[in-house]
Amino acid sequence: MKKILFTFLSVLLLTACTTETVSDAKLEKNQPHIYPDYLGVTIPVNIAPPNFGMANETVLLVDAVVTDSKGNSIHSQGEESVDFDIDDWHELLAQNTGDSISVTVSAKYEDGWHTYSPFSIYVSSDSIDYGICYRLIEPGYEVWSKMGIYERDLSSFEERALIENTQFEGCVNCHSFNRGNPADMSLHIRGPHGATLLRQNNGPMAAYDTKTDQTLGLCVYPYWHPSGKYVAYSTNSTQQLFHAADSNRVEVFDEASDLQVYDVNKNELILSPLLKQEPVYETYPVFSADGRSLYFCAARALSEGSHSLDSIRYNLCRIDFNPETGEFGNRIDTIINAEAQNKSVSFPRPSYDGRFLCYTLSDYGQFSIWHHEADLYLLDLATGESRPMVGANSKDTESFHNWSTNSRWMVFSSRRDDGLFTRPYFCHVDAKGNVSKAFMLPQRNPRRFYRDRFLSFNVPDFIIAPTNFDGHEASGLINDEYRKKIGVRK
Amino acid sequence: MKNIHYIYTLIFGVAVILFFGMAYPHHLHYQEQFQLFLFDCNYAWDIVKLPGGVADLLGRFCTQFFLYAWVGAFIIGLLLSVIQLLTLRLVNWGRFYGLSYLPSCLLWLFLLDENALLGGVWAVLITLLASWGFDKMSGRIRNILLVVAIPVLYWIVGPVCIVFFLLQALRLKAQKWYYSVFVLLAIMLVILAYYIPVPASSLWFGIHYHRYPTQFPTLLWVAALSVFVLALLLNLPKLSSLTSTPSSLTSNLSSLISFAVVTACMGCFVWNNANFKAEKIMGYDFMARHQQWNRIIETINKEKPNNQIGVTVQNLALGMRGMLANHGGEYSQNGIAGLLPDVDRDATSPLPTAEAFYLLGMINVAQRTVFEAQEAILDFQKSARCYKRLAQTNLINGDYEVARKYLFALQKTLFYSDWANETLRLLGNEKAIAEHPEYGHLRKCAYNEDFYFSDHVTPEMLESLYYKNRENRLAYEYLIAYYMLTGDRERYAKFIQTIKK
Repeated sequence: MKKILFTFLSVLLLTACTTETVSDAKLEKNQPHIYPDYLGVTIPVNIAPPNFGMANETVLLVDAVVTDSKGNSIHSQGEESVDFDIDDWHELLAQNTGDSISVTVSAKYEDGWHTYSPFSIYVSSDSIDYGICYRLIEPGYEVWSKMGIYERDLSSFEERALIENTQFEGCVNCHSFNRGNPADMSLHIRGPHGATLLRQNNGPMAAYDTKTDQTLGLCVYPYWHPSGKYVAYSTNSTQQLFHAADSNRVEVFDEASDLQVYDVNKNELILSPLLKQEPVYETYPVFSADGRSLYFCAARALSEGSHSLDSIRYNLCRIDFNPETGEFGNRIDTIINAEAQNKSVSFPRPSYDGRFLCYTLSDYGQFSIWHHEADLYLLDLATGESRPMVGANSKDTESFHNWSTNSRWMVFSSRRDDGLFTRPYFCHVDAKGNVSKAFMLPQRNPRRFYRDRFLSFNVPDFIIAPTNFDGHEASGLINDEYRKKIGVRK
Repeated sequence: MKNIHYIYTLIFGVAVILFFGMAYPHHLHYQEQFQLFLFDCNYAWDIVKLPGGVADLLGRFCTQFFLYAWVGAFIIGLLLSVIQLLTLRLVNWGRFYGLSYLPSCLLWLFLLDENALLGGVWAVLITLLASWGFDKMSGRIRNILLVVAIPVLYWIVGPVCIVFFLLQALRLKAQKWYYSVFVLLAIMLVILAYYIPVPASSLWFGIHYHRYPTQFPTLLWVAALSVFVLALLLNLPKLSSLTSTPSSLTSNLSSLISFAVVTACMGCFVWNNANFKAEKIMGYDFMARHQQWNRIIETINKEKPNNQIGVTVQNLALGMRGMLANHGGEYSQNGIAGLLPDVDRDATSPLPTAEAFYLLGMINVAQRTVFEAQEAILDFQKSARCYKRLAQTNLINGDYEVARKYLFALQKTLFYSDWANETLRLLGNEKAIAEHPEYGHLRKCAYNEDFYFSDHVTPEMLESLYYKNRENRLAYEYLIAYYMLTGDRERYAKFIQTIKK
């Protein structure tokens, strides 16, 4: 009996492990149409295997052989998707840094195998950071269901929850790290247990009430100063309206907004009359790479009661900031006058080497994720020239983005997949500002993964190491009533 | 008369089935619409990876059948009957046989709450089943398995498993070493609290026995602990002598009496605690969901609705049958709040209004309302009803890839997969959509001039619908009703002038 069982199990295992040999394949002149599209992309040497399937779902089997110029190769075959061995993949990439690898795809249909013209993938010598951190949330309106903040190791497929709203009543948003270093972290909680969680230098976390009697409301969009001593925040009075007949579903807009910088060591907000002007909406503050400027978006405020949302156009502005004294300059410069082009700037993000500034350009407003026309643009800070990031953009929305710590990679959110659910994409930006074709965050079985996940990847940001975020401790702080108050510098 | 007890159980089971099938069917429909059971490994894993997950999964599996109330009623009847039989096996009170119905009756009471989840009932059932299985064991193996059962049973059924360990304590006559089982269980929970992303209290009281995450499922716990209490009392020497039965005739008679007394008392208690007002409201929502307009009109002709959902559904049915403009005044009204009420941030009340939005051609408004309602489901489940409507609104809007995503999910369901397959064939097929009696009509009715909307429907929104498509009879009906209910004669006169032109 045991022998029969053993034989049966062995046969079962062997059957499961067998791959079909690609034989009598019809040679196709064109390159394969695969999902996700990895044709001709540039990838970092430490990225997880970009598994893919055929875009045509009638395929019975998909087979891929990846070869390099040195004669090395790896192979994978699957029904829905190829699934390369992670170790073999990383070994192959390590041997081909600064070179291209070639991928030959064959697909089996009802009429047999078809082998497509090979495509190449360029392996950049610029590595990418350890991982990314993002919020997962349904792309909805005002009510939220389950959501959380997650981190993902980019060299594998491992995803880990930092905190989920199953641990408390409320929502989480606006996570921020200092140049990808999770030792400095800011995280907002909204709802009945609202708070801002702050961690500095990997020290203990604390829960803050960031509303003061001199500011508009709670701290909102954060950005760390490179020194780790300050965090720039906006404070926004945000509303939503919904389109009755438009491809864009929602307008998220500010009825008022100001900027402020939080001095972490002194536990006080630094305000400037220039950054809290009533007729101006100021938002999305970010520090320059040297920490001596504060970039932000500013628009002329609507008159009270007006809903001409399509007339709110944000320019990219800048003000000096002295990190030694924590004082602002006395003048605001307009860096990009988007209003003059009937456009609007959102999410400015300077590269950490100080060379470029990436921003999102849409027709109006500042919440560009709900604007199908939104695209990414790159501002050369040396020349002041600005141009669209053609390789990264698509016909659909490109919105939030962040730089890797070596300033050579960008992660950005895009809705190109289906027009609604945001996915993280990556592109390479070289020293001259050339932007490579973007590629989607790899998954073990991408079609199944992205089809089954009804959540948007929100605010993707690089992290240089695992966050070591203690969700248990954080939820304890959130559920506790105590909130540390913050002051305002006089 | 050896199997007389099975006849009593059968009578009890039939009573439960009749209750849920005839008196409480819409509570079952309500339960079904707030979940999306998928035949998918990832879905199953996400449930079973939490303590109590297996019971939860079984509960959700059964709940999908609640789409058909009688099938749901049969499932509940069967589960409660099995629990009664297990109670009898574990705790036989002899002449007080009727007490074996106590846990089942308490669970019946528990299930009167539309937010009580069937996973809790499964948790009790599995706990009793495990206890019964262990009773048949003895010796060292039993003791070893008892220790193994601490994490395993906890993982399968959640904290209700404490009843199992309490029952085993009685069997072991409270041997001192056995108390360490409870210490181990407590240590395990303290450790788990660190790793499982739920509030620590949920680990002690149950993660998914009730839809409200913060609500302690009192009745479920009382039902589960009642088995232990019955067993504990039976162990008292004085009481145990009371349960002895001198003759089979007396035994049968006393069984019948105790059965009749317990079930009659509990039956009255169940009936008095049933929320028939909610049942009526859920009934209106059910009829609107399934577009049973004639049935709604028959219902309101018998009894005028006295709640907002009832009035909303009443007006929708009258509108769909072309009676709202002329006969709306003959029925109960609640001002414009009974016509198209402002959308609240809950999962229940917006759904009937969303039916009206959808049928009027306010596709984006319907889409937003349904989406928000689904997001508001308290236990973070998704809804097959909402997925279906979201697929439809996206299809009408031409957002085929988004519609496809919802339809692919519905393909993994038992009762919606055929519909999903049919609808998938429509995607991208403009001609087929234009010719479709529902989608083609709604595309013609939908707005093509954009404006902003929020939570409140204005007369301009209805006028715009009607001016866009004069064949949109429902918009006309609602518009006239709107003028009537607001008494806005000026606007009405202007509207009449405009349509005459």
